[in-house]
Amino acid sequence: MSLDEVLMAIALTAYVLGALALLVYFFSREEWLCRVGAPLAILGCVAQFAQLIARFELTHVWPLLNLYGSLSLFSAMSVAIYIGFAFRYRLWFAGGFVLALAAIFLAYGVTWYEGTMPPVPSLQSYWAKIHVPIVVSSYAAFLVAFVFSCIYLMKYYAERAFAGAGAARDLATSTGATIPAASFSVGAATGMQRDTPAIAAAAQAGNPVAAWLGALPSLAQLDVIVYRAVAIGLPLITIGIITGAMWAKEAWGAYWQWDPKETAALFSWIIYLAYMHLHTRHAWRGLRTNWVSVIGFLSIIFCYLGVNIWISGLHSYKV
Amino acid sequence: MTLRALYADFVSTFGNVLFAVSLFVVWGLLTLVGVVVDQGQDPSVYFQSYAAPIARAILRLNFDNIYHSPWYVGIIGLILLSLTVCTFKRVIPARLPPLHAVKVEHMPLHASFDTDGDAAAARRRIAEFFASRGWLVRERTFSGVEWSFADKHNWARRGVLIAHIGFVIIAAGTTLYWARGFSGEIALLTGQTAQVPRTRAIIRLDRFAYKIAPIMTKSGMVYQPIDYVSHVTVTGNDGIPKQMTVRVNHPIDVDGTLYYQASYGFGVRFLVTRNGQPVSALSNRTLLEGESFEIPQTGRSVLYERFAPTIDRQTGMPTADPRVNNPAVVLAISQSGNPIGEVVVPLHSWIDLGEGWRVVPSRYTLYSGFQYRYDPGIPLVGIGAFVLLSGLLVSFYLLPARLYIRVDEVGPQRVRVAGAATTVKGYDVFENEFGRLMVALREAMAVSPRQEVHEHVFG
Ligand code: HEM
Repeated sequence: MSLDEVLMAIALTAYVLGALALLVYFFSREEWLCRVGAPLAILGCVAQFAQLIARFELTHVWPLLNLYGSLSLFSAMSVAIYIGFAFRYRLWFAGGFVLALAAIFLAYGVTWYEGTMPPVPSLQSYWAKIHVPIVVSSYAAFLVAFVFSCIYLMKYYAERAFAGAGAARDLATSTGATIPAASFSVGAATGMQRDTPAIAAAAQAGNPVAAWLGALPSLAQLDVIVYRAVAIGLPLITIGIITGAMWAKEAWGAYWQWDPKETAALFSWIIYLAYMHLHTRHAWRGLRTNWVSVIGFLSIIFCYLGVNIWISGLHSYKV
Repeated sequence: MTLRALYADFVSTFGNVLFAVSLFVVWGLLTLVGVVVDQGQDPSVYFQSYAAPIARAILRLNFDNIYHSPWYVGIIGLILLSLTVCTFKRVIPARLPPLHAVKVEHMPLHASFDTDGDAAAARRRIAEFFASRGWLVRERTFSGVEWSFADKHNWARRGVLIAHIGFVIIAAGTTLYWARGFSGEIALLTGQTAQVPRTRAIIRLDRFAYKIAPIMTKSGMVYQPIDYVSHVTVTGNDGIPKQMTVRVNHPIDVDGTLYYQASYGFGVRFLVTRNGQPVSALSNRTLLEGESFEIPQTGRSVLYERFAPTIDRQTGMPTADPRVNNPAVVLAISQSGNPIGEVVVPLHSWIDLGEGWRVVPSRYTLYSGFQYRYDPGIPLVGIGAFVLLSGLLVSFYLLPARLYIRVDEVGPQRVRVAGAATTVKGYDVFENEFGRLMVALREAMAVSPRQEVHEHVFG
């Protein structure tokens, strides 16, 4: 096994174990699981970057020019951005989902491993070194936004369920099981669950699921996290599209050719632009913007993998 | 409806962010159509790929060339219009809000605490506190109540404006290309000279070379192109021929028009004979891939579909090897416009077309395809991209916030400081910082340990 293969194996193993630990932490709130999962996330991420560097050193070929390399950077950047958020806003609780997605994308990337290939002429450009990492990093930021949007939506719909007819019944049948004590908080937040009163009421009445949900950050806090992740992703994808256009100009003679890949990126950009505009309106912030974030990430996956796999475009040089 | 009411309706619709988002949705969907539906194909391709009613709809709705369709241009136009209206009616006025009094405890973000001292001294300390943190502090009196206002990143309120202007500049740059620019493709056989349409440049292909490396991968042999290079002699406006090389990613600039290495292929000279005699009118041409010729009086036509650099010696079928080892051409024959079959004909071999006609692919010449483009809009698009990006960064990373602070005397040498905050992005994003600020303010105002902070963040 060469060094890069060893590092890849370390990264994958760390992600799988870290995902397991943090997923169990998410549900059980056992602090020690977080203390295991968080270092595994960091280890996997460091191993991945080391793997990319080792690969470049060994082959002298820029390692991001195929799905194997770019998916590897995608999962590494997703974890890196997430780790930044986790430290900044104390968000380790969501790490299981990010690591699980990172592991899936990384494992999928490995299936595209073909050995070392020199790049085709259109990819032999310094733009490859600028454009690809930027675009992939924007996708990674959107992945983080997606994970928190899903948690937001889960909590939102749980609140609706508790607020509905179910609430009274839940209170009546509550088993009074022990309530997980730890509460996940964002920065110096007050921890108030003001935007989920039904969950708070049910939790107070002893419903364990409600107590568990209540300890998640408030909907408003989750929404802010999603906004911040999108605020990283949107400028990056904008720079990505611009640098892509500059590269296209150099390689194909036109900065915009309506190539399926370019247009799919434009499509995702429009979705996140819509997200940002909706987010400026109080009434639309929250449920709707988080759905837009989920749709936005699906469009990113379509742009990233769907277009590469299903639709052929200028990305293969006309021979 | 009066004209004035109509105008008011127009402004309120086009100046509405939700209307803008609806336009984005339509723009996104049209863009997606262009991703999913192959663009610029022959109508027959759509009928092959889709059920007839869908294919008809695609063609009728211009979905085969969506980005130049009235829909697409129209939606961009509407977005620009909406953006302009919104900028003048909402973004500019809303971004410079006047100072006014508020009901502190009615604002979602508010906090209050009591502290010692008189009101004037408290206000002074408040002003010092915020000024030392880079806030702009102003004091005003409304209905006899003295207010302190602290603003942060006020200038960043223009981030949205900057982003919007950036988008408009990009649109202007693109329009400039539509109005004044041009582009095209030109294919030159080795040794051939041509004048490029719309420029007076004369270009001659001296030699075209490509490099292909066979690489063993996990799933078998792959022939990877490594380099394409055209050696050309170009004569521009100055009339002096210059030798240049055009490579992928390395275009050349001739009098402001750029020439790019776009494609390459194999031109083939076909020898056409009738009863063994060459038919000179047909035999002197070299065809590029995709070109065809008619066989007189037979209703047959021969399309030179593509070149097969290496065919398998056993099966006679083209292989994936792009190096020229055992070349052949793939011809598609049709009769009165209806395709009747495809054949692989090795070079120097022949195909019999009946009635004594034979076609022999006799020799091949490499040709190089160039894309040329004159685009006066590029500097504008570049500036627009830069402006847009700056606007995005300013809007996303600098949060203009305003604090409203009132100081009321609640006893001798005792005041209550009540503060509320608003930001351009609502309250949630500022919740933590507001909490920290108010705690720090309370500490800075030297509150005694007995006193409690009545923090009602989000009431
Ligand atoms: C139909 C066209 C558009 C309209 C009517 C529109 C309108 C608006 C309005 C009213 C706001 C401010 C909302 C507020 O703070 O109250 C805004 C924010 C913004 N707009 Fe637009 N806009 C349009 C198109 C665009 C485009 C094409 C871009 C970028 C290329 C863009 C970028 C932004 C950004 C970055 C913000 C700030 C968002 C934030 O701070 O979270 N807008 N837009």
